[in-house]
Amino acid sequence: MDISEQLNSANVTVDEVEPFLEVAPALVQKRRSQGRIIFDRFLRNRVAIGGALFLFLLLIFCFFGPLFWRIDPTQNNVLSVSATLAPPSLAHPFGTDDVGRDTLARAMAGGRVSLSVGLLSMLLAIVFGIGIGSFAGFYGGAVDNVLMRFTDVILAVPLYLLLFVLSASFSDGTPKSVIFLIAIFGWTYAARLVRGEFLALKEREFVLASRTIGARDFRLMFRHMLPNAAGPIIVNATLLIGINIILESVLSYFGFGIKEPDASWGSMITVGQGIFDTDPWLVLVPAFLIFFTVLSFNLVGDGLRDALDPYMTER
Amino acid sequence: MGRYIIRRVLQAIPLLFFLTIGMFLLIHLLPGGPEAVLFNPRMTAAARANLRAQMGLDDPLFIQYFKWLTSALTFNFGYSFATSESVAAVIARHFPPTLELFGTALSLALVLAVTLGMIAAVRQGTMTDYGLTVLSYFGIAMPVFLLGLLAQDIFGVWLGWFPTSGTSSLGYTLTPFQALLDNLQHLFLPMMVLSIAFSAGWSRYMRSSMIEVVKQDYMRTARAKGVASTSLLLRHGLRNAVIPLITVVAIDFGAVAGGATITEGIFGWPGMGLLFIDSLDRRDYPVLLALLMIGAVFVIAFNLIADILYAVMDPRIRYS
Repeated sequence: MDISEQLNSANVTVDEVEPFLEVAPALVQKRRSQGRIIFDRFLRNRVAIGGALFLFLLLIFCFFGPLFWRIDPTQNNVLSVSATLAPPSLAHPFGTDDVGRDTLARAMAGGRVSLSVGLLSMLLAIVFGIGIGSFAGFYGGAVDNVLMRFTDVILAVPLYLLLFVLSASFSDGTPKSVIFLIAIFGWTYAARLVRGEFLALKEREFVLASRTIGARDFRLMFRHMLPNAAGPIIVNATLLIGINIILESVLSYFGFGIKEPDASWGSMITVGQGIFDTDPWLVLVPAFLIFFTVLSFNLVGDGLRDALDPYMTER
Repeated sequence: MGRYIIRRVLQAIPLLFFLTIGMFLLIHLLPGGPEAVLFNPRMTAAARANLRAQMGLDDPLFIQYFKWLTSALTFNFGYSFATSESVAAVIARHFPPTLELFGTALSLALVLAVTLGMIAAVRQGTMTDYGLTVLSYFGIAMPVFLLGLLAQDIFGVWLGWFPTSGTSSLGYTLTPFQALLDNLQHLFLPMMVLSIAFSAGWSRYMRSSMIEVVKQDYMRTARAKGVASTSLLLRHGLRNAVIPLITVVAIDFGAVAGGATITEGIFGWPGMGLLFIDSLDRRDYPVLLALLMIGAVFVIAFNLIADILYAVMDPRIRYS
C-alpha cells in the first residue's frame, strides 16, 4: 500500500473522528462514501424526485396497465366504419386507429417496446462512447487519431444507406438486434463529447495533483475526470432516449424489430403521420408520451448532474 | 498547432481513400441494381445488355472501382444513371439550396441555443429555467415532420404569411431584389423548423456546461472586480463552457452535405437530402457515391474545425 492509499483509507480518518463523536455527537457528520453522498444529494432534489416518480408511473402504465385495460392492442375492427379512426370516447379514451385498434391499449404495449429500446440502446451507446472518448482524450496522440478517425468513418456512413443494405440480408430482426443497431450509430456524439471534455480536463490542476500523489491512469480517468464530464454526457443520454424511440420506428419501416400489428410509440406516429390533419390524436398521444418520457428523464438527469457536481454547495 | 493541422489534413487522404472503397462496396450491396429501377420492363434483352454495358455494370467490381477512382482523381465523377447529366452538374444544382437552408437555420439555431442556454443556466431552478426546459423538450420530442406540417398549416395556409413549398414563386418576372425577397419568404418556414429542431438540443448542452462555469471562483472574482454581467458571461463564461457545444454543432454542421431529408421533403426544398433519397431509390450509383464522399469530406473537415476551436477557446488544450 503506498502513501496515497493510506491517506485515503478509512481507518486513519475513523480514529480521528471517534473522539469528537464522544464529546459532541451532533457536530460530527457520519462518514459517507462518494456514492452515498451523491445519492443523498439526489434525494434532496425535489424536482429530480418528481421526474423519477413520473417515470415510475409511466413504467407502471406500460407494464401493469394492461392488467386493468384488457383490450387487445392488436385486435383490429375493420368491419364497422364507426369503429375505425373513432374519436376519443368512454370505450376508447384515446380513440382508435385506422384499422380500429384501441389507441390506449397500443400506447401501453408500444411503451414497453419504446421504453426498453430507448433506454437499453442509450445505455449501450453511452457506455461505448465514454470508453472510446475517454481513451482518445486522455492518451491523445496516436490513440486519439485512430479512435477519432474510426468515429469519423461511422459519422460519414448515412444510417439510411446501411439500413437499406442490411434489410436485404436480415429480414427478421429481433428487438435485441434493434437495440444493438441503434447503439452502433448512437455512440459517436458521446465519444466526441467525452474526448473534448477530457482534452480540457487533463490540463487542469486537480488532475496533476492526483497524479502527483500517485493515482494511476484508470483512477484518474474514471474516478476524477469522468464525474467532471458528467454534464454533457447526461444531456446526450437524455436526448438519445428520445432519438432512439423515433429511430426504432424508422428501423421497423425497414423490416427490423417489431412489426405490425405489434405497436411501438414510434410506429404509432408513423401510422398517424399521413392522417394528421383529420385525426391528430393518433400522432399526439404517442408524441406526448415521448415528450413526457424525455422530459422526466431530463429532470432526473439534471438532478444526477447536480449531485455529481463537486461545486454544488450542500445546504 | 500549424503542424497538427497539416498532419490531420494529410491523415484525411488515406482515410478518404479507404472510405471510397467502403462506400463503393456498400452501394453495390444495395438490394436490386439500377437496372431493376430504371430500365423499361418492355425493353428487349439486347437493349438491356447494351444499356448495362454503357453504364459499365458488366465489368468486375474492382475494375468498376478503378475506373471510377481514376476519373474521380481528375474531378470527373461520371454521369447520373437516371438523367445522364454529369454528377458535378447534378450536385451543383442541389447544393446551393441546402447550403442556404442549413447555413441560415444552423446559424440562427446557434444564436438561439447560446442565448436560451445561458439564460436558463443563470436562472437555474427558477420558473424561467423550467419554462425553457419544457419548451426545449417540446422541440426535442416533437417529430420534425409534425413541426413542419403545423408550420405549413398555421403560417402558410391559415394565416397565409409564407409560401409552403419550393424556393421561389413561379411565373413572375421579378427584379433581382424582389427575387431575393421572394426567396427569403420561401426560406423562412423550413429555416425556422430546422433551427427549432437543432436549437432545442443544443441549448441543453449550453445550459448544462454554463451551470458549471458560473459557479467557478474566477467568475466570482471577475464579478467582484466589476465586470458587467453580460460581458462576464460572454467573454469569461462562454469561453469555458462552449466545448461540448462546439463538439455537437460541428457534428451537426458536418451533416450539411446530407441535407435535411425530412424538412426538405415537407417543404419541397430541392436540396441534397432529397437528392440523396432519390438517388438511393433509383440506385443511381455515380450520384450516390459522389454524395457519400462529399458527406465524408464535410464530416472530417468539421470535426477538424472543432478540434482547432477547442484549442482556440481553451489554450491549455494541446495536441502534442
